Order: sequence, then C-alpha cells, then structure tokens
Amino acid sequence: MKNNCDHALEYVYHYLDEEITWYHRARVRWHLRRCNDCCNGYEFERRVKAMVRSKGVDEPPPELFERLRAFIREHGVDDR
Amino acid sequence: MADQADFERDAMQYAPQLYSAALRMTRNPADAEDVVQETFLKAYRSYHTFEEGTNLKAWLYRILTNTYINRYRKAQRRPSEVELGELQDLYLFRRLGETSGGAAVSAEEEVLDQFVEADVKEALESIPEHFRLPVLLADVEGFSYKEIAEIVDIPIGTVMSRLHRGRKALQKKLWDFAKQRGITGS
Repeated sequence: MKNNCDHALEYVYHYLDEEITWYHRARVRWHLRRCNDCCNGYEFERRVKAMVRSKGVDEPPPELFERLRAFIREHGVDDR
Repeated sequence: MADQADFERDAMQYAPQLYSAALRMTRNPADAEDVVQETFLKAYRSYHTFEEGTNLKAWLYRILTNTYINRYRKAQRRPSEVELGELQDLYLFRRLGETSGGAAVSAEEEVLDQFVEADVKEALESIPEHFRLPVLLADVEGFSYKEIAEIVDIPIGTVMSRLHRGRKALQKKLWDFAKQRGITGS
C-alpha cells in the first residue's frame, strides 16, 4: 500500500491539473478508492486550488477600459 | 493575420483578467495598470503578427509576462530550488492534520472557508517570483502546462517543478496565517 500512496502523492498535481496519462490516472483512481488518507488529501488539494481561483482575483478599476482605449488611441499610431 | 481594426473587439475582453494577474505580479495597482497599458499597446502594435484562430488569451499573457519581467525582474534574488523543494507534499493538509490529531477531515476543509480573499492574495504575492508566475497562470488563469511553457518561455518540466514548489510556498504562507490566528483543524 505504501508504494501506492507514494505514487498517488507524486501525481496529485498532475491528476488535479488533468495533465496525466491514462495509466497513471487509472492507478491513482484505483488507489483513492482504497485509501482514505490519500483520498482526503486529494480532496483537500482540489479545494485549495478552487479557493485560489475564486479568492485570488481582483476587479479592475471601473475606468480601466476607457483609459486603455484612450491610451491606445494616443500612442497606438507609431510614435516609436 | 489579424486586423488591427478588430483589436478592441477581440482583445479588450481580457483586460480585467490581465489586470488582476498584473496586480499579483507587481503587487501594486499603479504598476499593474502601467504593465497592462504597455501590454495592450504592444499587442495593438503587433496585432498584425497574431495568427487568427490561435490562442489570443495566451498570446496576450505572453506579452504581459514579458513586459512585467523586462520592467521589474532586474534585481530579484532567485531563491534556490532547495529552499522551497523541502516542503512536504500535501503541506497544509498535513499541518492541519497534526493539530487536529487527524480526527475530522471536514475540520480541515472548514479551515479553508476561513481564509478571506486578502489572505489568498497575500499568500499568492508572497511566493517567490519564479514560482509565482506558473501558479498564477495555472491556478488563477487555468492555463495548461504547455501553454504556461510558451507564455513564460521555459521548458515544460521546469513549469511543473516551479508550479509544484510555488503551490507549496503558497500553502506554507496560508499555514502561517492559520497559526497566527489560531485557526487550526481542531
């Protein structure tokens, strides 16, 4: 079992990022059904990743679009 | 070949995301807006080189990343890979498990609900820059490893190792917050 835990830990990010070959994904899935600790660890990592995505973002200042458009109009035509 | 006349229609929709990413990079709203402005200007001027039908969002992020690196990376100390590599896998999960005696898993997950936006942003911004960019691009922006490799211009293996280390650094910072406030899994 230990080997399978090590394997699951090694591939946790590859699995959650969906950057994993079918072989390793199948092996991880098989293991997660049998190992509570790894299964909980995976679920926790999945939630951390989702949290970073939902809480790591800022709204731009409302005038950003207008300022960008004005900036491009002013400098977009070659003044290099 | 893309037409400059379509630039506003096609590219402007990404401005909010680029701004947010720039803010995590520069850690400062005025600098973030400068970087975004320069990015859009460069993108506008070279829009004729953008190949229509390819990934516009990734193309813009590549310009953003280059702009940021050229402007701000001058005097950055590069942390040794060892410094961050030593952290255990499932770092935060394990720390929380130790404090709760491994009792209730749901308790560990509840801890995450107690982190507010400011915590997550500060934790992201605390990651050393080399490792922060892949984390931002993967976790906040949802780019694939291959796209990140192209955006940051590093090999895909380097993307993976920096991403893994960066995520651990983020979790270490979150764990510091949890300890400071007495938020633990128990």
